[in-house]
Amino acid sequence: MKKLISLLLVMLITITVAACQPAVKQPAAPAQSGSTDAETGGSQQKTGLPVLSPDNPVTISVWTTSNHTAPAADNKLTKLLKERLGVTINYEIIPTDNADQKIGVMLAGGEYADLMGTTDLNIRFITGGALIPLDDYLTEDKADLLFEHVRPYWNRLATDAGDGVKRIYIIPNYNRFYGEITGGTHYGASGFWIQKHVLEDAGYPNLDNITLEEYFQIIENYVKKYPTIDGMPTIGFELLCSPGREWVLTNPPQYLAGAPNNGGVIVDENNVATIFADKDIAKRYYKFLNQMNAKGLIDQESFTQTNDQYLAKLATGRVLGMYDQRWAFGQAHDALVSEGKDERTWVSTMPVYEGKKPYYADREVMNINQGFGVSVSCKQPEVAISFLNTMMSEEWQKIFNWGIEGEDYFVDANGRYYRTPEQREIQKDLVWRSKNKLEALYENMPKHQGTYSDGNADSPDNQPEEFYETLREYDKNFLKAYGKKTWRDFLNQPPENPVYYPCWNIHLVDGSEAQMANRQLTDLSVQYLPKIIMADPSEFETLWAQYVSEIKKINIKAYEDAINAGIQDRIKNWGGGR
Amino acid sequence: MATKPLAHHKKRKSVWSTMIAQYELILMSVPLLLYKILFSYVPVVGWTMAFQNYKPAIRSFWKQEWVGFDNFVKLFTGINGERFLRDVRNTIGQSFLTLLLGYIGSISLALLLNEVRNIKFKRIVQNITYMPHFLSWIIVAGLVSTMLAVPTSGGIINDVLIRLGIIDNSIMFLAKPEYFWWIVAFSNLWKEMGWNTIIYLAAITAIDPTLYEASVIDGANRYHKMWHITLPGIKPTIIVLLIMNVGHILEAGFEIQYFLGNGLVVERAEIIDIFVLRYGIQMGNYSLATVAGIFKTVISIILISTANFISGRLGEEKLI
Repeated sequence: MKKLISLLLVMLITITVAACQPAVKQPAAPAQSGSTDAETGGSQQKTGLPVLSPDNPVTISVWTTSNHTAPAADNKLTKLLKERLGVTINYEIIPTDNADQKIGVMLAGGEYADLMGTTDLNIRFITGGALIPLDDYLTEDKADLLFEHVRPYWNRLATDAGDGVKRIYIIPNYNRFYGEITGGTHYGASGFWIQKHVLEDAGYPNLDNITLEEYFQIIENYVKKYPTIDGMPTIGFELLCSPGREWVLTNPPQYLAGAPNNGGVIVDENNVATIFADKDIAKRYYKFLNQMNAKGLIDQESFTQTNDQYLAKLATGRVLGMYDQRWAFGQAHDALVSEGKDERTWVSTMPVYEGKKPYYADREVMNINQGFGVSVSCKQPEVAISFLNTMMSEEWQKIFNWGIEGEDYFVDANGRYYRTPEQREIQKDLVWRSKNKLEALYENMPKHQGTYSDGNADSPDNQPEEFYETLREYDKNFLKAYGKKTWRDFLNQPPENPVYYPCWNIHLVDGSEAQMANRQLTDLSVQYLPKIIMADPSEFETLWAQYVSEIKKINIKAYEDAINAGIQDRIKNWGGGR
Repeated sequence: MATKPLAHHKKRKSVWSTMIAQYELILMSVPLLLYKILFSYVPVVGWTMAFQNYKPAIRSFWKQEWVGFDNFVKLFTGINGERFLRDVRNTIGQSFLTLLLGYIGSISLALLLNEVRNIKFKRIVQNITYMPHFLSWIIVAGLVSTMLAVPTSGGIINDVLIRLGIIDNSIMFLAKPEYFWWIVAFSNLWKEMGWNTIIYLAAITAIDPTLYEASVIDGANRYHKMWHITLPGIKPTIIVLLIMNVGHILEAGFEIQYFLGNGLVVERAEIIDIFVLRYGIQMGNYSLATVAGIFKTVISIILISTANFISGRLGEEKLI
């Protein structure tokens, strides 16, 4: 960084302004929508959008935030896209922890890929004018499948980009369900995870109404019994507070108090939100962690590691417990399964303070403002939308999730999809997946979750019989020992979500007091909580008092007001679709 | 003496004729001048962002909302103010340590290399020491992070210290704020020491060899020669480099602090550029980022002119 960042930015902007019209770098071949329709008869799709075909090759650039890497060069589905639709995709994949600053720089530059896959809760692409409104395309006779995807949730998804009109800019990526919700794994679920072998060794203790003390007791016993795993020191409990993952450190107190995940606030029965970072429920949790640290149960490197280092450590199989959400450590889980160390993977437990009921699992919430949008730099938005729409068809959804019939799965006499043991096993191989699946692309794409029109589940893991058959012997026995059928059964039965739920995706306006306060609060927790946990227990009270007094200096009211305004707005406007 | 004002007078009169006589040279310098103006002066127009509530969705500068000195107040007062001040202190502290260690390291290495008579050995040492210069900072940051970790995560330094019996338990280097400035300074030393000797070695070759011969006749030994001839010989180079580096004192690097900085050490690790990244660019607050940029530029200009002035007053080399 030889130059001042700001000057660089200014330069970028000046050049852009001076050049009036940014040079276009996408030489996407013209799709000639009219003539294509004529040539192919125009009857394959009833959409008023260009039909993608190999006769008209197009290149679509895709920018997306994902922790998956780009597909291997000889990827099977990449070839299929080219053969059947003539679509070539150029990827730009940004790991989630770097997305924030990348977005800032891109907005200043004003140039984007055709399709933008984003998980940014601050909706900066929308307010920054990077995405085009999709309302005109989301109709019965244009992008019919995408229209069906958003139709029931129109009011929820429509966002004001700053001009006072609510429009849809982003097609949601997760948890828009069709048919019935099935599935053995709840990827959004939080929990205090514990290694299966630890539970096995402790004789499968009852996990209902477990307390934090009991959870750590089981871990402590195991650490004493097995000080090393595979020659490396056993780690009792792992923590993390790398950028973008601070919630691993800050979220647990609300669960312990029996509240669902609303981010930094707890909402009372009158729908009023207050922060809990400085309250007793938080103090009690961190005090307990402080004592556990004194016992040597907490990894000393917890707070100096990055998310990648954290995942790598989990993947060694020597971490007995951690608080996290299932999707966030999926790669470590998959790596262990890939190596055949199923006994080193984790199941969730739900400790609570006495008198509280666990509310760790919620009803799957549809993401808003996370998913794919079409950028203003896209020369042929119809083509990009046509691509997204085609991908939403059951045919392609099955290809993304199940693979290709006859190669990756079979259909039995009753029309049920199933796989052979070899097909199941090979899916666990990460190298195979990079050659045969498009995980980086699919992650932010709209998905047909639930069941298809033929009654099969969206993906093998969610097909009840497939889920069970895919498990290795160890997992089958483990589930049997607990008398449960799926991993989901380890969670609480989620009640109906409140209308406004969840508060963590209430968007705070860029440059507002509320956003500033939120950032300052996060920064304070990152600065103080690690110190508080790592400190000698005798220093705990002093440090906690310092932390609380620093929080008092922040304009918390601005933050709470913004969240409460968001709650009220949702209660008023969120019903109904089109 | 009497001719001097006359000559001056004459010169001024013939500015135009000189320019005409040298028109080729002037023409040749025009592209470079334009380049400088385009990339160094035109962007300063962007400083107007500091006085606006800049929103990237509005692509025109002049349609933005003007807010006067609001952004300056936001940055320099309250919680942000405390934090910014802390970051300025960290930036200067890290820079100063880096500069100090860097100077001592590379000058000593240059002097020692200069004394090596075995050319082959000298070449090998030189190559080894300046190799790290070609590594990207992010790789160096990764290396440093691994080196300083606990032994089970590949921490060589802790491993060595434990095996030598100097410490019993691993030191969490990256979790102790008081170590952070030193980690930055030593990483810089490791990476740049060899590279920086090149310029000193070049300066040393320019020293008149007869001085050394004369001093030997006067009975000087190696240390005398180093102290009384080599060092004074490269003094002008040292001073020019020092003045130039003073201008960069608010740039303490970026990658290493970004990668290794964490909550436990943030009070010593966070520097201005990271503050700008977190509170400016990540939060879409470009105006705040610009204010910080202006601050850095103004301070740098003041520092460099002061250093230049002092150096001139002391009768040493001047840059401008």
